[in-house]
Amino acid sequence: MQLFTFLSLVGGALAAASTTVTFRLPATHQLPNPFGLPPSTHATLTAAGLRLSAPLTTSNTFVFHNVSTGSYLVDIHCPTHAFPPLRLDVSPSSTSGTSSGTPTEGLKVQAWETYRGNDWDNKGEVLPVLEGGVIEVTKVLGQKNYFSERSTFSVFSILKNPMILLGLVSMAIFLGMPYLVNNMDPEMRAEWEERQKSNPMNSLMGGGASGQPGAANPMANFDMAAFLAGSSSKKDNNGNGNGDSRPEDNGGNGGNGGKGGKESRKKR
Amino acid sequence: MLPPQLSALLLLALSPAVGAVFQDEVGHLDYHYELLGLPQRETTFFHRPRRDDKASLLYTLTDIGVLGAVNPGNGAVVWRQLLNDTSTTQSAGGLGLLRAGEGENWIASALGKSVHAWDAVSGRNKFWLDFPSEVKDLEIMELTEENRRKDVLVLFDDDKVPVLRRLSGNDGSVVWEFRDTTRDTALQVSTNVERVFVISLRGTPAAYNLKVTVIDTLTGRRMDELVIGTKTDVHSANHVMFVGANSAAPIVAWTDAALTTLRVNVLGTKTRQEFPLAPGTVAVEIHAPRLIQSDPHFLVHSRTATGNRADVYHVDLKTNAITKAYELPLLPGPGAFSTSSSGANVYFTRITGEELTLQASTSHGILGRWPIKAGESTPLHPVHAVAEVIKKAGSTDSYAVRAAAVTDADDWVLIRNGETAWSRPEGMTGAVAAAFAEIPESEDLARTLELEAHSNPLEAYMHRVRRHIRDLQHMPAWLNGIPSRLMSSILGTEIAAKDGQPARDSFGFHKLVILATARGRLYGLDIGNHGRVLWSKRVVDIPKGQKWDVKGMHVDESRGQVTVRGAAGEHVVVKTDTGDIISKTPPGSTPPVQGAALVDSLAGQWLLPIGLNGHIDDLPAHSAPKQVVVVRGGPDEGVELKGVAFPANGQSSSSALTTWTFSLPKGQRTVSIATRPTHDVVASIGRVLGDRRVKYKYLNPNTLVLAAADDAASTLTVYLLDAVSGQILSSTTHEGVDTGKPVECAMAENWFLCTFFGQYTLRENPTQSLRGYQVVVSDLYETEEPNDRGPLGDAANFSSVDPIRSPTGVALPSVVSQAYVLAAPISALQVTQTRQGISARQVLAYLPEAHGIVGIPRILLDPRRPVGRDPTAAEIEEGLIKYSPVIEMDPKFVITHERDVLGVKKIITAPSIVESTSLVFAYGIDVFGTRVAPSMLFDILGKGFNKVALIGTVLAIMAGVVALSPMVRKKQIDMRWKAPM
Repeated sequence: MQLFTFLSLVGGALAAASTTVTFRLPATHQLPNPFGLPPSTHATLTAAGLRLSAPLTTSNTFVFHNVSTGSYLVDIHCPTHAFPPLRLDVSPSSTSGTSSGTPTEGLKVQAWETYRGNDWDNKGEVLPVLEGGVIEVTKVLGQKNYFSERSTFSVFSILKNPMILLGLVSMAIFLGMPYLVNNMDPEMRAEWEERQKSNPMNSLMGGGASGQPGAANPMANFDMAAFLAGSSSKKDNNGNGNGDSRPEDNGGNGGNGGKGGKESRKKR
Repeated sequence: MLPPQLSALLLLALSPAVGAVFQDEVGHLDYHYELLGLPQRETTFFHRPRRDDKASLLYTLTDIGVLGAVNPGNGAVVWRQLLNDTSTTQSAGGLGLLRAGEGENWIASALGKSVHAWDAVSGRNKFWLDFPSEVKDLEIMELTEENRRKDVLVLFDDDKVPVLRRLSGNDGSVVWEFRDTTRDTALQVSTNVERVFVISLRGTPAAYNLKVTVIDTLTGRRMDELVIGTKTDVHSANHVMFVGANSAAPIVAWTDAALTTLRVNVLGTKTRQEFPLAPGTVAVEIHAPRLIQSDPHFLVHSRTATGNRADVYHVDLKTNAITKAYELPLLPGPGAFSTSSSGANVYFTRITGEELTLQASTSHGILGRWPIKAGESTPLHPVHAVAEVIKKAGSTDSYAVRAAAVTDADDWVLIRNGETAWSRPEGMTGAVAAAFAEIPESEDLARTLELEAHSNPLEAYMHRVRRHIRDLQHMPAWLNGIPSRLMSSILGTEIAAKDGQPARDSFGFHKLVILATARGRLYGLDIGNHGRVLWSKRVVDIPKGQKWDVKGMHVDESRGQVTVRGAAGEHVVVKTDTGDIISKTPPGSTPPVQGAALVDSLAGQWLLPIGLNGHIDDLPAHSAPKQVVVVRGGPDEGVELKGVAFPANGQSSSSALTTWTFSLPKGQRTVSIATRPTHDVVASIGRVLGDRRVKYKYLNPNTLVLAAADDAASTLTVYLLDAVSGQILSSTTHEGVDTGKPVECAMAENWFLCTFFGQYTLRENPTQSLRGYQVVVSDLYETEEPNDRGPLGDAANFSSVDPIRSPTGVALPSVVSQAYVLAAPISALQVTQTRQGISARQVLAYLPEAHGIVGIPRILLDPRRPVGRDPTAAEIEEGLIKYSPVIEMDPKFVITHERDVLGVKKIITAPSIVESTSLVFAYGIDVFGTRVAPSMLFDILGKGFNKVALIGTVLAIMAGVVALSPMVRKKQIDMRWKAPM
């Protein structure tokens, strides 16, 4: 304490021991252009019974004059960017300004990051104090985004939906296949039809979908009821599958649906 | 301990649930008046911020201490700075100073004890210096020994000793300081190129003479001292009209108390010249150029009660003689003059209600005359103005003039060649009270319905049928309107209100706001139409430098009237939709009041004035309040609360009876009082826990929160009082509270909160300490146990005066409290109000540092958030999240989003017809309004609902069906014919 009073006496005409603290915002990768910050950006120094405010200057600094000894909470308020809270300690220097500060006034300036809602002594990273009480604030938490995104209507977002994709693919097959088949080379078409006959998947596409009058579908006359009943219709099916039943087809079911056709076959 | 970043992340993760502002709703939902305050005559000017750019900006330092730059082209604010951010009180006398150096890219300002310089383009600070003494005057020194640097001369009044400092224009460092040796009243500073003059008043009040101290510009040493005139020449500092500066021959001019003669002295000389003023002059203003190269001409503007005239004088640079050059005739009505100079030429612009005229200082010939085409507004009554004159290139005698005038309607209007380019309602700054009002339109209907209800059924039926037949006449118009309504509803455009009259809408968003300002004006804003000013009226005459202290405002919806009560006993009743004054009593006609309370009486609701010291006169029985009125008593009204009842005594008048008195302990003073809002509907009387048990809310409508600070002990004690009995229901003391910083409380439903700055060591762990702005939230429940309604049970009635005594005493609520550290200070607390109270609530608060309004969801402020552990499944179901000590001000909570809303003093909320939405209106310096939906928009379609996409989808599906159905039919027929069976 004696040293402190001595130093402040040495310090000169200043009545109360106080110093000037400057916070500077250098260009960082998070804040490439600090000159673009709005003029309402300012910093505050808060402690019990005290609040100092300093606006952002043309040289991207916040200058606090007449800061007396104490421990302060420093907040940088900016509408576009968020800055971490800082802690500033101005204390009588025990060893005349070894690390920092302005030795003539006998005050030591130290700054740390601090954490809100945490112990005040739980200090974060030390901010180096440059010559003349200048502290560089290099950490920027990020840009402030005030708006929430509205989910926009877009055709692509609908098309990205897997259900829609499935539907589109099946639709393409449904519509495009007949043309494709029609445009085929006759030999290849015959070959393809042969293959179709043995392809069980074909049944799923519907009996007459393939567009050929004679295409017998192995599953088309599969009788579920009969199958479940364990009747001998399997045999019939096989027979039909082999393409033997063509004449009957022609005769049997003029205006009837498929079901009726099956029915008539079964009776036979 | 949880890393803060993580807790911030947690909060960010939460934010989608509470919703933020969508970009496309900006300007649709909300409206904002970016205001500055009333520009002052001496601190408003056009200035070119860039030396080689012709464009100029309009700079002003207003009566409420806002420094701003306005684009004269469109009236938009370029930048602004709030210089006195402690309060908006207009300090008496010195209201700030603002000067710009010719061709400089910075401007210098001073307010109170600080001097600042600002970059003229960006609004960034150049330097900000605080001095121990009051600044009296500020001047730019145009020529310094250093090349191209201009310095600032600042005159201080340091304990009655004039002190002049010359500050470097670069960094504000003191070049030299001059301290006078005698105790004189520092008045102003002036300079011509060679010397600096300090003008001060020597002598005693009412018998001063002028003293001019001549100072060397280089060293700041006294060169000479001149005493001008005789003693008793100057009666008070107000009579010194003008001190010119930076001109070739700066003058000082003063008048006698009766305004009969004007005395002028050219600074640096000893002689004074006298000029008679026209009889009947009530005010004198002097306008002179502030450029060193301009002709030393000046204009004396004298106002009489009915008109205004002016005389132009020339100063001879060689002999320092002043001669009258010409005079401008007396014109009736208010008028304003302005000086502008370009090079040596000096122009005087005269603005009256009818026309704008331009004259050169050298001759009385009129260079330009433009009749003023007042827009839709009332005739222009300019009070003072600044003008910019541009000589059109090519022609010799063609000029363009734009003048920014402050009118007596407290508007700031720019007139470009006679046409109103823009008008800023600057009078809305310094708002002190506001209230929502319904648009009084369906009153006739309400009255008819009431009539029908009271007549016999048959008659009522006939009347009703007739009314409906009469209403048919509106049908064609209604049918006509259908297409446009449909289109606007699809395209999202807004239909202009019919014939400009506001009309109610089906959602209840369309209301009026009545705003009272400190300058004695009332404004009616149509908030359904982006806050358009419907009307504005001066209702009380407030002397300059004083504020209208509005104590209460009450809107009578059934009559469409609003009553405003002021502190000096005045009251005024106006119509909400037109502003027509219905009745009015001037200040002082009734005793001054401490406050005004809205009370219920037999005659209906009315604003009861409460006299000083809580005294209430005897009232007629029909207007005696039914409730207990809580008043402040005691010597300084800060330490005592009294409950006053008006018991019915069967007589024609009833007198006040003090039923209880609550005195604060010694050393404590009241800092904040909060009550539940008048519209505070509670949807559910209990809170359902995760396990389906219920905690019953303590919902006593007669509760109030009183926060009392003890400055010596740095403590804040929060009392919860029963307003009927005066019983303390709960009290808490917070230690380590900075009582000098604002403390505010708010209350709603069964909870209240208080915010303050705290700096203390933790009680559980003395090694740890904490500091920061905090908020303490308390919930009130009937008992501590769920499914227990306490001693009252399900009783329908309850008496505070004769409470049920449980075995030990009066049944008190169970209080659950929790404290949170805030990332930024908050003020102007308000809770959102919705129609049924079903929606969640948000705490709205102004962020004085960030210049925004934040809506903090109540879920974050819940005191039942589990501390130090993750919430259990039942707690998650209840909606509780893990306690985190910090409430970050997530930008998504900010309902003002990117807007810079300055100086909000109070926020008011009102319910709308739709349950989801609450109307918000904030006032202070700026005026801002919006709608918030704390539980999202669940009952109306928002702007995000894409009607075009909906209709488009339906049409696309229809087209698809139409196109595909023939194909499908063909396929089906083909299939039948070609079927393999």
